[in-house]
Amino acid sequence: MSREQYQVPNMGGQNAFSGDGMGAGAGSLDGPVVAYLCGECNSRVSLKRGDQIRCKECGHRVLYKERTKRMVQFEAR
Amino acid sequence: MAPLVPSQEELDRRRLVDINPETVSNIPSTDFPGHWPGESHEWSLEKFKNDLKIEFHRNERFEASFSLIGVDASIANAFRRILMAEVPSIAIEFVFVHNNTSVIQDEVLAQRLGLIPLKGSVEGINWMRWFKKPTEDDPEGSNPADYNTIVLRLDVECTKNPDADPQEEDPRKLYKNAHVYAKDLTFHPVGRQDQFFVGMDTIQPVNPDILIAKLRPGQAIEMELHCIKGIGADHAKFSPVATASYRLLPDIKILRPIIGEDAKKFAKCFPSGVIGLEPVTREEAAQKGSGYEGHEGEQKAVVVDPFKDTVSRECLRHEEFQGKVKLGRMRDHFIFNIESVGQFESDSLFLESVKVLKLKCARWKRGLTDLMR
Amino acid sequence: MPASVHSEEQDQSMLDASAPQEQEEQTDVLELEEKRIVVLPGASDTAASFQFEGEGHTLGNALRYAIMKNPEVEFCGYTIPHPSETKMNLRIQTYDTTTATEALEKGLDTLMDLCDVVTDKFTTERDAFNASQGDRMEA
Repeated sequence: MSREQYQVPNMGGQNAFSGDGMGAGAGSLDGPVVAYLCGECNSRVSLKRGDQIRCKECGHRVLYKERTKRMVQFEAR
Repeated sequence: MAPLVPSQEELDRRRLVDINPETVSNIPSTDFPGHWPGESHEWSLEKFKNDLKIEFHRNERFEASFSLIGVDASIANAFRRILMAEVPSIAIEFVFVHNNTSVIQDEVLAQRLGLIPLKGSVEGINWMRWFKKPTEDDPEGSNPADYNTIVLRLDVECTKNPDADPQEEDPRKLYKNAHVYAKDLTFHPVGRQDQFFVGMDTIQPVNPDILIAKLRPGQAIEMELHCIKGIGADHAKFSPVATASYRLLPDIKILRPIIGEDAKKFAKCFPSGVIGLEPVTREEAAQKGSGYEGHEGEQKAVVVDPFKDTVSRECLRHEEFQGKVKLGRMRDHFIFNIESVGQFESDSLFLESVKVLKLKCARWKRGLTDLMR
Repeated sequence: MPASVHSEEQDQSMLDASAPQEQEEQTDVLELEEKRIVVLPGASDTAASFQFEGEGHTLGNALRYAIMKNPEVEFCGYTIPHPSETKMNLRIQTYDTTTATEALEKGLDTLMDLCDVVTDKFTTERDAFNASQGDRMEA
């Protein structure tokens, strides 16, 4: 399944995210681990479902997703 | 019927576009067959050759000013329009963003990059072909190749400067690559491009100090930029001129003498250097009915250089000059001003526009021979 | 919005692409595909409307001037019927001594001759001016 496709969050305890989502690799039963960047100290924060949204280094509560690693094409107009 | 020859006075009158206090009149040109009874006005290349005059006022590398005298407005306007919209040049068109963690968004950055004027070997730019974009009729379009695409790269990463003074506040000294400038664009020749774009002639920005983005440590920009040849009609970034304009030569006629204090006031109605003051001579004062009688030695207004006039019509607002002055513009005297953005020399740009008009005609003529067959 | 998001296989850099293909030979500087003039319905020998695709006031007005300079032409005018269509219509009506198509051809020739004269004159005047400026610099 393409990761661009919207998937309806399934609240029935089942993991709705297939293993090829962001932060793939550490797919435990509790869902995949997603890497974020702290808005304050820029350190990497890995979160999984249910985790408190909080930087482990500085406690800042604003986290950003990382930019896509894929090439994006634009027209210079 | 023997062709009628209009008097010189009449011809001079026809050359003028009249400028009145609130209106302009005598606007359209009338040099067509059938307009003036008994006059020919048929197209004659010989006559055109003899009448055409070009006078240069200034010819710097990127700014030229000259007068084109003896052509119709439709022709002069065609050259001006072609200069702005149809003389080809190169600009960044496709942006492939591999990484951009700066605060400026990809699409905004791409748009900024497109507007950076580029220069390079003129020979090489002329050698380049069009890059055809996919259309409905031709979903394939062109493939990028050495003769239609120029590759630039922008790879910068901002880092902390370990040698910086701890008290330093200027981000440019505190960090490395805090500011990304046009000079950070690097040219990567492909195929035969290194035969044309070598040394001083490599593809590079005209102005190396254009600020593209600002970075902070840890932020990076990594992108590949494809430049293609295009025309201003498609996008203004392809226009090779900053301005290309003309104005008609102003004409000022003093119909009746303006003397003394009035003359000073009259001169003040114009930019400096347009109107001069001269003493009324003995002969003029002696002439009956000239308006100068008894004014010998007083200052009179004379037209020195109408070229410098802006045709503000200020003199037409004053009671004392009523009926004493006539403003106009020379219908066939075009003062061109061409400013290049830096890819081509300004004088060669005009020649290029003439070439484009000729090519246009040649192409349509070929289409016409198909039609007649 | 990004114009397109390619998958990894597609975003091959041009630098890595294989050797450039042989360049197609093109004659014109402004090549593009061959242009066709369309004669609008209702044309006769001496009166016709021609439609030029992809042209505007630039060629329209200049060509109108060149054609009107021909004494065998009774009327010539141009219009851009709609600003969002890049089409230019040129109407030519001639006297019986010629045809509309001939008048159009002659007009194009006139314009091309004119261009040559302007180029020659401009080049000589510029060179003369540059030489005189050079003298002034030396003096």
